[in-house]
Amino acid sequence: MSTYKLYYFNVRGRGEVARLIFAAADQKYEDIRYEREEWVSHKSEMPLGQMPVLEYNGVKLPQSAAINRFLANQFHLAGKDNFDQAKVDAVVDTINDMISKYRPIRMEQDEAKQKELTKTFLADELPKHLQNLEGLGKLYGSGGSFFVGNNLTWADLYFYDIAQHILELDENIFNNYPWLKENRQQVEKQPKIAEYLKNRPKTSH
Amino acid sequence: MPSYKLTYFNGRGRAEVSRLIFAVAGEKFEDVRYEMDQWPAHKAEMPLGQIPVLEVDGVKLPQSAAIARFLAKQFHLAGKDNFEQAKVDAVVDTIDDSFKGFVPTRFEKDEAKKEELTKKYFGEELPKHLQNLETLGKLYGNGGHFFVGKQLTWADLLFYTFAQAWIGVEADCLNNFPWLQQNRAEVEKQPKIAEYLKNRPNTPF
Repeated sequence: MSTYKLYYFNVRGRGEVARLIFAAADQKYEDIRYEREEWVSHKSEMPLGQMPVLEYNGVKLPQSAAINRFLANQFHLAGKDNFDQAKVDAVVDTINDMISKYRPIRMEQDEAKQKELTKTFLADELPKHLQNLEGLGKLYGSGGSFFVGNNLTWADLYFYDIAQHILELDENIFNNYPWLKENRQQVEKQPKIAEYLKNRPKTSH
Repeated sequence: MPSYKLTYFNGRGRAEVSRLIFAVAGEKFEDVRYEMDQWPAHKAEMPLGQIPVLEVDGVKLPQSAAIARFLAKQFHLAGKDNFEQAKVDAVVDTIDDSFKGFVPTRFEKDEAKKEELTKKYFGEELPKHLQNLETLGKLYGNGGHFFVGKQLTWADLLFYTFAQAWIGVEADCLNNFPWLQQNRAEVEKQPKIAEYLKNRPNTPF
């Protein structure tokens, strides 16, 4: 019996996709959540001094994307063959391109500046990323609502999670992107995910 | 036997790791290279309006990491099982983290600012990441010179090609990292890579 331990902060952040994958797969794991003050004493235990880290049968693995892809492959949520898995990876990388433009804005301390940067992000940057994602969904989705091959993969879970941050900026954003809106609704409807979303801790981000 | 077509600029950049994978595997592919003035006419043909793109039996796949990982898996250069592939992915993600800060230093137009950014990157930022990479190599490399499991994987090829870009700007940047220097030396010694390096086009990037 393999053992899985996920180490992260007590937030969704870069750890939540792994938790969604465990939930979708109905797989038991130890969900270790460190508060900020606790983390200081554990930092040196992690390979790169960062989290999330997955401990699989006692061996530590850093880097959230590597963790997420590993878990998806373990539980058949990565794509049915090598090329489908590559399409899933391409969607994930495109989601990353989108959110990497937003993360620095979130770090901005000056409130007025942050408001200005957010406005620019929403008007100039975000639309082309959402269009790209709809484009990939239509190219690889075999006519269905999931990103690749008519099956739920971790690309759908990743988009679901990241989109929650985007919705906090503009709750109506997906009204202009019906394919993406439908995709998120299909993810939410999956019984194990609906159950997980209902019961997970409520955290700031 | 699938047909492979790789489309990119006439440079190493984000396509070179895939060219190295084809070379190590001894696999044929169409190596399409666009000069800067040729590219605009083809932009609309690509799923995200970007390159590199890999076409496999006529289906297009964007995103350089997704492309490289797919090819590595096709040709057994990705790691011998799911968890080893995850270790390879974690090294790749860490190489990407290292490279992120480098790109803005290349594109900065103001000469004085460019010099300052470059100095900061090579003096403060890159060494931290290189330290992390040595840590992972020693953690996952089973005492050998390759990043994971005593065998060449695409993580070694990616580090090889990105480090070339750093060395081009700052020749001494690996001087304090003997494990990483040895890793690159091992990559260069592989017969098919030595052959490829001898014959590949010489390009500015």
